[in-house]
Amino acid sequence: MKKIIFLSVCAGCAIICFSFIPDGKKTWNAPPSSASKTNPQKTISTESISDGKALYAKHCQSCHGKSGKGDGTKAFELKTEPGDFSKSIFQSQSDGAIFYKISEGRDDMPSFRKKIADANDIWNIVNYVRTLKK
Amino acid sequence: MKHTQLYSRTFFFFWSGLFVFLLLVSGMAIAQTEGVDSLTNTPVRKYQQVKNTFESNLIIDDQSVMVPSKNTLEFDILHRFGIINNGYSNFYGLFAPPVIRLGFEYVPINNLQIGFGLCSNNMDLDLNGKYAIVKQSRGAIPVSVTYYGNIVIDTRSSSDFVERGDRLSYFNQLMVARKINSKLSVQTALSLSHFNNVPGYTDAEGVIRNTVMNDQFTWSLMGRYKLTEKMAILVDYDQPLTQNPTNNPHPNVAFGLEITTSSHCFQIIAGNGQYILPQLNAMNNQNDFSKGQYLLGFNMTKLWNF
Repeated sequence: MKKIIFLSVCAGCAIICFSFIPDGKKTWNAPPSSASKTNPQKTISTESISDGKALYAKHCQSCHGKSGKGDGTKAFELKTEPGDFSKSIFQSQSDGAIFYKISEGRDDMPSFRKKIADANDIWNIVNYVRTLKK
Repeated sequence: MKHTQLYSRTFFFFWSGLFVFLLLVSGMAIAQTEGVDSLTNTPVRKYQQVKNTFESNLIIDDQSVMVPSKNTLEFDILHRFGIINNGYSNFYGLFAPPVIRLGFEYVPINNLQIGFGLCSNNMDLDLNGKYAIVKQSRGAIPVSVTYYGNIVIDTRSSSDFVERGDRLSYFNQLMVARKINSKLSVQTALSLSHFNNVPGYTDAEGVIRNTVMNDQFTWSLMGRYKLTEKMAILVDYDQPLTQNPTNNPHPNVAFGLEITTSSHCFQIIAGNGQYILPQLNAMNNQNDFSKGQYLLGFNMTKLWNF
């Protein structure tokens, strides 16, 4: 009986210890030179938000979800965590960092530099993504 | 002879009008000159261009003002079934011999697209070009203006033709479009179709006459209304303007549902356009929408960016 209790306690400790091991999520930081870029659209217009929303729906929504929570229809097929745009950990990034990530991509996230050739359009997406903050 | 003079006059007025119009709008285009944000080194336009007036190169049977971004390759599959009013005998046209076009378009430089395609109707090979002359910009330019033209070569056996030039037909279209708001976009266009060879008949006096004119003018009106960010309703109407001795073509009326993704566009359509190539619809469309002579079809496009 003592053996069973001892083994159960060991197993419980092991489970607790393993639960603190990082789950393999890779952090993604934009290079400082890109992260420090400022948004050229000094005042965010409703047109910019509207254009950004249309582009987001076309290019981003299938993975990132309608409200940016990473719950799009394709999200479950991804090996890379699509993130949650409503959370402060995402929103605390600079506009330049978000611009860089959309533009360059990594792993499952494609580069949109060629598909969205006009930099102003990527800034419009950045502006729209800011509105997803909870 | 009288007809020939009329052709020449209309042809002259069309091209001189087009030339004057292009001169006027080319001045407007200069207002779109780009600058560079000194802080971020990001190109910033003096006036913000209005984007996504239409989501695709096509509005059912016609072209839209859209020219994709530089280095974009597009593959098109266009499909038209048979007319629906034959009923169950060919399952409402779905089992009738279809008209299919497979095409590729590429954008080598900003605002210019070139392409080619092969159509199952007469094995027509088309070479086409499209140039965005002016793009709608907020506070500066109220409309987008684009030119589209093609040359179609009927590639059937030479025994079907007297002269080599009889294979050729041409299509020129000037489109003007405006995105009214985030949901509604409208476009109008004037087009000139020219066929080197048209069917003829011998009249009571033994004189050979054309059944239709070699040149056909058509006025078009199209619209898009977005139901959601990725789904829209399309409407397309082509009104023939030229009066022919016989066989006047019927107007083309078409409706469609468009679904777009990042790299694809799907259009499911119902209309009475008998053909896919625009000059053939402008010249030969004998399907009368009011008599139920409409058909189903679809357009699919796939984009790659290099």
